[in-house]
Amino acid sequence: MESLFTRYRNLLVLLAILLAQIIGLAVQVHRTDSGRNSVDPQDVAGVRLIRLWADEAVTPPERFFHASEQGAVDLWQNYLDLRGVRDQNRDLQKTIDRLRLEQASLLEDARQGQRLQSLMDFQQKYVYKTLAAQAIGSSGSDSSRVFYIDKGADYKLERDMAVITPDGIVGKVREVFPHSAQVLAINDQTSGAGVILETTRIRGILRGNAAGRPQIVGILPDQRIQPGERVITAGGDQIFPRGLPVGVVLGVAPDPDRDSFIDVIVKPAAHLDRLDEVLVITSTEPRFPADQQQDMATSEALKGAEADAIKEQQKASEIMAERLPGLTEPHPPSTTPASGQAPGKAQPGRDQAAPAAEPQVPKLLHPQHPDRFTPGATSLPSQNEKAQTPASIKTKPAPKSVAKPGPPASPSPAHSGGNPQP
Amino acid sequence: MNILGTDYRRDLGIRHYPLLIYALTPLAALVLQALLPHLLRGYAWFDLPLVVTVYFALVRRDPIQGTLMGAGLGIFEDALTHHAIGANGIAKTVAGFLAGSVGGRIDVENHTIRLTITFLLSLLSGAIYVFIYRILLGLDLQWSWLAELAKAVGTTLIAMVLYPLLDRTEIRD
Repeated sequence: MESLFTRYRNLLVLLAILLAQIIGLAVQVHRTDSGRNSVDPQDVAGVRLIRLWADEAVTPPERFFHASEQGAVDLWQNYLDLRGVRDQNRDLQKTIDRLRLEQASLLEDARQGQRLQSLMDFQQKYVYKTLAAQAIGSSGSDSSRVFYIDKGADYKLERDMAVITPDGIVGKVREVFPHSAQVLAINDQTSGAGVILETTRIRGILRGNAAGRPQIVGILPDQRIQPGERVITAGGDQIFPRGLPVGVVLGVAPDPDRDSFIDVIVKPAAHLDRLDEVLVITSTEPRFPADQQQDMATSEALKGAEADAIKEQQKASEIMAERLPGLTEPHPPSTTPASGQAPGKAQPGRDQAAPAAEPQVPKLLHPQHPDRFTPGATSLPSQNEKAQTPASIKTKPAPKSVAKPGPPASPSPAHSGGNPQP
Repeated sequence: MNILGTDYRRDLGIRHYPLLIYALTPLAALVLQALLPHLLRGYAWFDLPLVVTVYFALVRRDPIQGTLMGAGLGIFEDALTHHAIGANGIAKTVAGFLAGSVGGRIDVENHTIRLTITFLLSLLSGAIYVFIYRILLGLDLQWSWLAELAKAVGTTLIAMVLYPLLDRTEIRD
């Protein structure tokens, strides 16, 4: 017996280790209701312990490397390479101002949408709070599109929290460790995100293929799906809030597994292969977050100030228009728009007969709000005004109720040119 | 040159390395395997733990050591992914066992032979992984031979650089 073991020792050790691992695999895989095998999304205790050990072994060197890299980059960017920062800052400030105005204009639409949603008992979830995290490592395998971030349970991260960048969605938190977390990217084969095509409103599930390219699977062929169409999150998966950018349609390919279905290949909006800093959505609420509300208040104030300024300008121009004597036409031509011609255009027949009639002399237009400077105004100027405009006192007062003023007392030559008031 | 004969094999000695090398090299391989794809913008067409497994199994000429090291590193690699733990472990266990078994029969000083074995074992490891995942476990996994081939080539190229470096750390009498 002993000699048998000695003779086949290598083989027996191999078989024992293989058997142990096969049993371990069998524990992790279960059959779903659809009859297909699947790995448990929630790891059993032993498996989670192994993952925790692996993470604890790999994360500290990764964190150290990343901190060193970040320190060098910060040293360069924050102290050595500051050329053009003022210009950039100025440009950014302009962009902020512009975006604030745009935000204010969109605010009304958003509020209207909220009112409609509340009527329909549907609550839109807004990104309420995010946590910035650094991507520090990967799985090391091209068949597993997961990466690690430097924040974990110590920052109250939880499973299934959405991970995004300002460009678009990235993935979701799959596993949380004490000081790090594992994120499943949207281009993994096992990922799934509810998305919708922005123009055609076709819904589908986004997941990755073997090459790590996200695609919307199980779509019925539709001629309307064109390259370049934007893809956004649908909000139905309870992970990603609705309306976040996902990417654009690159093209359509037949589904290899199911006939009569197609896969829509998507170019992700976020740079999934160049992830450095990501945002974890730690909270979503059916209202805007405080900082966004403050931004919107600022935007509204800015917009109000701008509207006031525009009003002031309009008012000033109206006052100027009123103060300037206008030209009016006491006997306008009988042509009306109803006769099929624009009022400003003269008919050829009439043009020929015009020289025979009274010569057309431009008349002063009737001001909308007559004041003391208006020819024929009734109000008497004050003593001070008397000294400044003695000529206006001599004008013949006209009754207020008269809509058509009398002929001007002394039309200036400048106004006889016939410039009509708008 | 007789590289498979028993007399030649008997003449060959088993290499020894400092304990630090045994401990740090596998750990460094695992850390770099997780770190480099992140720095290389997603390209993971290499398998550093397999290089280390094959190297130590070959030079130590011990199938059991190769089996254990392959199992450990494979399980560790699996733990960093979101896949079931064990598929990579089994693949590298078999690779380590074969490398250790072959190491006792060939000239491990020959660089070309070592690289050829590494290339073949990389392909075999990929095939075992796919077999376990798709056939044994019945899980969905898309894969392509081209990607596996590229990975084997990448692994061999890294081995081409790493093996001479590790050879220098050998304890010589």
